[in-house]
Amino acid sequence: MPSVEDRVKAVTARVLKVDADSVKSEQNFGSDLGAESVQSIELVASFEEEFGIEMDEDAALSVDTVGGAVDFITKVCQEQGVSV
Amino acid sequence: MRLILFDLDTPKRRNFYPIALSRPIWEMRVGMSSLAEKMIKKLGATDVAYFLPAYLAATYKARASGAKVNDKAALAGDDLLLLSGRLKAAGITVAKTGPSEVGTAEDGEILYARINKADIGKVSGATIEQFLASAAKAIGTVKSATPAWDYTWDLILANPHQITDDFKELGRSGIEGTIEEPSGLRGSKKDVFVGKGAVIHPMAVIDAAEGPVYLDEGVEVHPFSRIEGPCYIGKNSILLGAKCREGNSVGPMCRLGGEIEESIIQGYSNKYHDGFLGHAYVGEWVNLGALTTNSDLKNDYSSVSVMLDGKKGTDTGSTKVGSLIGDHTKTSIGTLLNTGSYVGAMCLIMATGKPLPKYVPSFSWFLEGVVTKGFGRNKLFDTAKIAMSRRKQTFDQNQLDLYNHIFELTKPERMEAVKKGRKVMLGK
Repeated sequence: MPSVEDRVKAVTARVLKVDADSVKSEQNFGSDLGAESVQSIELVASFEEEFGIEMDEDAALSVDTVGGAVDFITKVCQEQGVSV
Repeated sequence: MRLILFDLDTPKRRNFYPIALSRPIWEMRVGMSSLAEKMIKKLGATDVAYFLPAYLAATYKARASGAKVNDKAALAGDDLLLLSGRLKAAGITVAKTGPSEVGTAEDGEILYARINKADIGKVSGATIEQFLASAAKAIGTVKSATPAWDYTWDLILANPHQITDDFKELGRSGIEGTIEEPSGLRGSKKDVFVGKGAVIHPMAVIDAAEGPVYLDEGVEVHPFSRIEGPCYIGKNSILLGAKCREGNSVGPMCRLGGEIEESIIQGYSNKYHDGFLGHAYVGEWVNLGALTTNSDLKNDYSSVSVMLDGKKGTDTGSTKVGSLIGDHTKTSIGTLLNTGSYVGAMCLIMATGKPLPKYVPSFSWFLEGVVTKGFGRNKLFDTAKIAMSRRKQTFDQNQLDLYNHIFELTKPERMEAVKKGRKVMLGK
């Protein structure tokens, strides 16, 4: 099974329409990857669908970077009993 | 005699959503006052207590300062007359005094209970629901034809006549405020009341030919507004060149422009710009962006249905029903609302040019044509704090608790809509 990081990068690439290989952990969704505000909502929705989890919107939207999303989603998966 | 109004947490409460999500049903308006004000006046009650769902108690208590709210002590010590908060005051025929009696509707719902002090010992219960059930058992019930409001649109549809009746009953007319010349007053002066501090600017028209016009204290009517009776405009509301057609009731502190017809606005809401609002009920702290327009009549003239639960429509039996819009909802410019739309509380609507879905659950962020979770409830609370502070009101801890409760209460239907939206958003 692909890692959480790979899955986060794949979703990010799909939603933001960028090359998956170019998505790096340290990149900021907005300033580096060009995510607009509506796309950030789409990203949260896509992560929830990808991992089968439910995230608190305020907490999820405060995550700025790809690596931060990986850590956040891993934590939510653990809390909600989703194996990754 | 102590009058007790009760609003039980039953499925019928949903018939008054989204307006009653954040207030007891008896606070809803029809005509020139609320349902509670009408019942209290009808019975001439001076001692009044209130029982309502627990989550509404703190905010209601703050509004009704000094009132007995969910106070069990109010269920003893005097003769009691308990009335459902959705009774039509004009149709209440139960006498204030007489033998103890519990009146029920055909379906068994308790509409009222008159309990003499001497009989209170026979009745018990930890909650108002248990107290009423115990009264019915101990005293017995009689079938009652006391009329009750069943749905929010009942209030909308009755509003024009109710304004006329209320105006007549109040028996108050005259100009206590200022009408600046040139003015246009059509109809009889005896059908117009302009309250203290109200100012009617030049070139405004008050048309009382078809019904009375009551402009409460501090109302301001800007030039080129036209107000057709029957109409009630609440304290300190401002009409900004509004085409205020017949049958509107507006609570305090509203800002109104564009075309408004046979609608009820609870108070503290803005419809500043052009756009049509008809046969609608709008809550408090709502902002309708420029050109927000609702349909209130279907192209085939068939009766309008409204989805109250997001699943199936309820036939209103009327060809004219507009939108029901909950407290704190904001619409963007150019929002189009379908006939009989339900938009919950605390929604943020970003129009796409197409009519909205007929059911938008509370706390929805409607973006790119679908219901989303958006930026979450805290961003909506931040906006509510700003909106209320502009009118010198506070979104305090009680308000926060209330809306957090409503957030959870409305979560199932919201998540259902979000799931549907995701299928579109994510192309699934």
